[in-house]
Amino acid sequence: MTAHPSIPDLIARRKPGHNLQADFYTRPDIFEADMAAIFWRHWIYVGVEPDVPEAGDVFVVDIGRASVLIVRDDDEEIRAFHNVCRHRGSRLVNEQKAVVGNIVCRYHAWTYGLDGALLFADHMGEDFDKSCRGLKPVHLRSVAGLLFVCLADDPPTDIDAMAAAMTPYLAPHDLPNTKIAKSVEVIEHGNWKMTMENNRECYHCGGNHPELNVPLFAYGFGFSPKTLDEAEAAQARRYENLVTDAHARWEAAGAPSREINHLSDRVTAFRTERLPIDQAGESQTLDTRVACKKLLGRIKDPAMGGLSFWTQPNSWHHFMSDHIVTFSVIPVAAEATLLRTRWLVHKDAVEGVDYDLDNLTRVWEATNRQDAELVEVAQTGLRSPAYEPGPYSPYTEGMVNDITGWYLDRLAANLDPVDA
Amino acid sequence: MSETPPSAPTTFKVQLTLSGREIECRADQFVLFAAKDAGLRLPCSCTRGMCGTCKSKLISGTVDMTPDGGIRQREIDQGWILVCCSKPTSDLVIER
Ligand code: FES
Ligand code: FES
Ligand SMILES: [Fe+2]
Repeated sequence: MTAHPSIPDLIARRKPGHNLQADFYTRPDIFEADMAAIFWRHWIYVGVEPDVPEAGDVFVVDIGRASVLIVRDDDEEIRAFHNVCRHRGSRLVNEQKAVVGNIVCRYHAWTYGLDGALLFADHMGEDFDKSCRGLKPVHLRSVAGLLFVCLADDPPTDIDAMAAAMTPYLAPHDLPNTKIAKSVEVIEHGNWKMTMENNRECYHCGGNHPELNVPLFAYGFGFSPKTLDEAEAAQARRYENLVTDAHARWEAAGAPSREINHLSDRVTAFRTERLPIDQAGESQTLDTRVACKKLLGRIKDPAMGGLSFWTQPNSWHHFMSDHIVTFSVIPVAAEATLLRTRWLVHKDAVEGVDYDLDNLTRVWEATNRQDAELVEVAQTGLRSPAYEPGPYSPYTEGMVNDITGWYLDRLAANLDPVDA
Repeated sequence: MSETPPSAPTTFKVQLTLSGREIECRADQFVLFAAKDAGLRLPCSCTRGMCGTCKSKLISGTVDMTPDGGIRQREIDQGWILVCCSKPTSDLVIER
């Protein structure tokens, strides 16, 4: 067996401002390290409150070998537990979604309340103490309806700072009072970092996303000012004025819009900004108009642009006046990644009356398809012995640089002594 | 459960479709135990309405059920019952 460079060696040898070495995208041992150091020790975005709309609803999310139960109890509290029986370890809920009275292990019927307490265990004898056999809790935070879990015993505390900063931005869209109009899962044939890096730039948008390019202003994602011709430069100036005007208008209407960027200087790292949408300016649809007639929360103006919210290591979201699109990325293997996309509309909106599902989902269904292809061709190319990390564009790939930098820092900080 | 009440007890017929059996169940008796008396061992565990192991579809008839967290109102609305804590109030047809 050829000796691979160690992870600390790879981290030390990484050229700043360049793509990561191929090992980071292909090696099973680095995948394991990513799970342990990144996905089991940071706040991971897994879903939304409407995944468990009623008491007794259960939603299961697997993060590598760890399986997490998200349940809504009768007191309307949402809680998370490890999906592992305290008897002989059986997985408790095997469907992705279920409705339960109590949580019951099918193996020997140990029965847990939705607060995790062990209520019943037959044939365990007089001395058996149920009170110390409750389900193991998992830390869970709802940030204005977006659910984050952390598998670490001591989760990063700066989730509080993110929640405080983001709640005013997200609250006008009232996510807790939406419903999931559609949820799709795509397995992308690439490492999870490939999926995330691809999300963090729109360098590739012009040539690859005909649908998304309709509502999206390319200028919102950076460009090289020197190489613009005069018409393009005028467009870029027009866009800048548009952003300034729009921010003033939206903020006056009670919707915070200005950029907050903590993608590289926080453990629980994030960025947000409300960005204008082209043409009618309403929604990320093919005609740039709202896809759903019932607007979210207390929003009156359909042209609220799109509030984008990015988190490290695994999510991005777009909040519009009429719907929300939200993306959760979960690594499956070194070269396979699950992307779960949900489209949310007002909970009282009726399909076929208030919205047409195809129209609602068309832009991002197409974009996801195109992105999955890009991830796969990038992953395939990087396996070649000829691959060497190339430079990021200083104008369009700043957020790629942020996520790879954040990743290496967090990996180094959380490596097990064995790996280090 | 087996002592005979002083007055003649009301008894209902319970048809168990998957077992292909018809049994008798007194009005004061849980269906699960009537089945047991008739030699039928239906899936069960806690026998007190907590675990949901005995959850069965009630095809027809009505019961008096006293569950303890093992079933949701939504499930009851869809016709599910826990046979360990359900007494018949009419003849029953149960998918079990
Ligand atoms: S393993 Fe769960 S009850 Fe035995
Ligand atoms: S046997 Fe447990 S609910 Fe009936
Ligand atoms: Fe893309």
